Amino acid sequence: MKRQLLAGVFLVAFLLSAPASEAPPQLKPFGRGSWQDVLRAHAGRPTIVHFWGVTCGPCKVELPLLGEFMKDHPSIDVVTISADLVPNLSAATQSMLEKSGLSSAENWIFSDGFVERLRFEVDPSWQGDIPRTMLISREGTITTIEGSAEITDLEKWSDQQPAATR
Amino acid sequence: MIELSDKGRKARRRGKLLATLAFFLWQTAAYGQMNHQHASEAACDEPILRCASKVTPAFGPDGTLWLVWIAGGQISVASSKDRGHSFSAPVLVTKERLNLDWGPDARPKIVVDRTGGIALAFSIFRDKAFNGQVLYTRSADGGQSFSELRPITPSSESQRFEALALDADGSVFAAWLDKRNRVPAQQRGQKYEGAGLFFASSNDGGATYSESRLAQDNTCECCRLGLAFAGPGRPVIVFRNIFEGGVRDHAIVTFANPATPGEVHRVSQDDWQIAACPHHGPSLSISTAGTYHVTWYTNGTVRKGLFYARSQDGGRTFSDPLPIGQSDRSPSRPYVLAGPHGTAIVWKEFDGEQTTVNLMTSHDDGVTWSKAKAVAKTADTSDHPLLVSDGQRVFLSWMTKADGYHIQPIEDEP
Repeated sequence: MKRQLLAGVFLVAFLLSAPASEAPPQLKPFGRGSWQDVLRAHAGRPTIVHFWGVTCGPCKVELPLLGEFMKDHPSIDVVTISADLVPNLSAATQSMLEKSGLSSAENWIFSDGFVERLRFEVDPSWQGDIPRTMLISREGTITTIEGSAEITDLEKWSDQQPAATR
Repeated sequence: MIELSDKGRKARRRGKLLATLAFFLWQTAAYGQMNHQHASEAACDEPILRCASKVTPAFGPDGTLWLVWIAGGQISVASSKDRGHSFSAPVLVTKERLNLDWGPDARPKIVVDRTGGIALAFSIFRDKAFNGQVLYTRSADGGQSFSELRPITPSSESQRFEALALDADGSVFAAWLDKRNRVPAQQRGQKYEGAGLFFASSNDGGATYSESRLAQDNTCECCRLGLAFAGPGRPVIVFRNIFEGGVRDHAIVTFANPATPGEVHRVSQDDWQIAACPHHGPSLSISTAGTYHVTWYTNGTVRKGLFYARSQDGGRTFSDPLPIGQSDRSPSRPYVLAGPHGTAIVWKEFDGEQTTVNLMTSHDDGVTWSKAKAVAKTADTSDHPLLVSDGQRVFLSWMTKADGYHIQPIEDEP
């Protein structure tokens, strides 16, 4: 019995060391169908979805501002989606989210090499330019801001959103 | 039926628990691995053509097709004497895996000169902040070996999106986007937008490059360049510029000679005001009649989508932009080539499941165009479609994850 348990422990330890640990658990893999998951999970709540990437210059400027915005607006759900197409990005992405005060946001990372399909599911007219922000009202109305969003515009939109109930 | 004792039941329950736990963990690990593979643009992770995510073609003067590609974190080169039916054993240009620039508009560049010398350039990320560096190398022995990789400029500021082209006298012209003017501007308390369009040339077949010089500052920092020659010693670059008010529309510059950039002209007024990285650069080809052909992507207030325009006055003025592709199929990555028997444009379209490469051709130097026709398709991710000519025919060169590398002649298309 002891031998059986020991073998089990070794097996568990071996499996834990497998590549599953490659991506930090905080980043959710964004694959086929994830966009609908995001929309379903936040239905009825005002939500800001921010597409960005670590290799995008304007994104680096905007991200900390979004972190500040999230802190000041707890009634708005903030979702970030890293849409960069560079391999092995999890650590850099996580680090930049942490530095920007966004580690507690709902953070996703593109995890399907067929990015054309991922983008098509989000918005067929989106060709991959980042940053890109989608403001989703309680009623599900989506307003898209291409390029860097002005925080004042986010605030204006947020003020128009009736308070949500959890 | 055999009754189990309490001890036996407990042991079995424990065994089941372990098995369930192990299965769960195995699934998680398998998902992690699967997810890792799905996240990749490449079919596999070795430095072979089948695993490539980006492939760039060039024909040599003897009709040999040369390919340079990114696969398995390395840069490799191979050649084909039978127009892509079979390839030589690949030669590694890099000695180790590098943090290559995988950006959507990045790819290794290749030119093959009259003597069979091969000049290459590509970008890497030099640090954790994703600052880029353009490296170059050369083969003087017909692609059997490549010289030590060298930076194209000693500047330690970020450089990306290099372009290479062969001049009529055999010299190599290089252009790239370079952030070196950012720090001095910031030190002066000024805001610095975008990157500088820098250039250099090599008179020894790409063994060494001249000091780099600025053609235009504050251009968009994240799109591929279009580079062609208007005549001997007269390179032309089309690029996404940053015009007044942060408008990222296209501009073109024709050089008086390889060291002297001319005036910058606007290709079109699309009015795409955006502080973002479009990752979607233009393409340029110049016909033997001297007509400039440009294709580009915009999402401006004036127009949205892919467009084509031509210039018959050396890039000073352009025709009205002609829309390319079906707007509801996400048309992308337009590429134009003025070939020996006409001009061709290819681009990608996506219907939610499949990507097609579409082609349209012109036999009057871009005045009128054929209807678009799908010439290739794939059901997974793919590289940009490129056109390449051996001086007699034009070929579509396209790397796909699911179906591998394609090279197909298009001269029989309408």
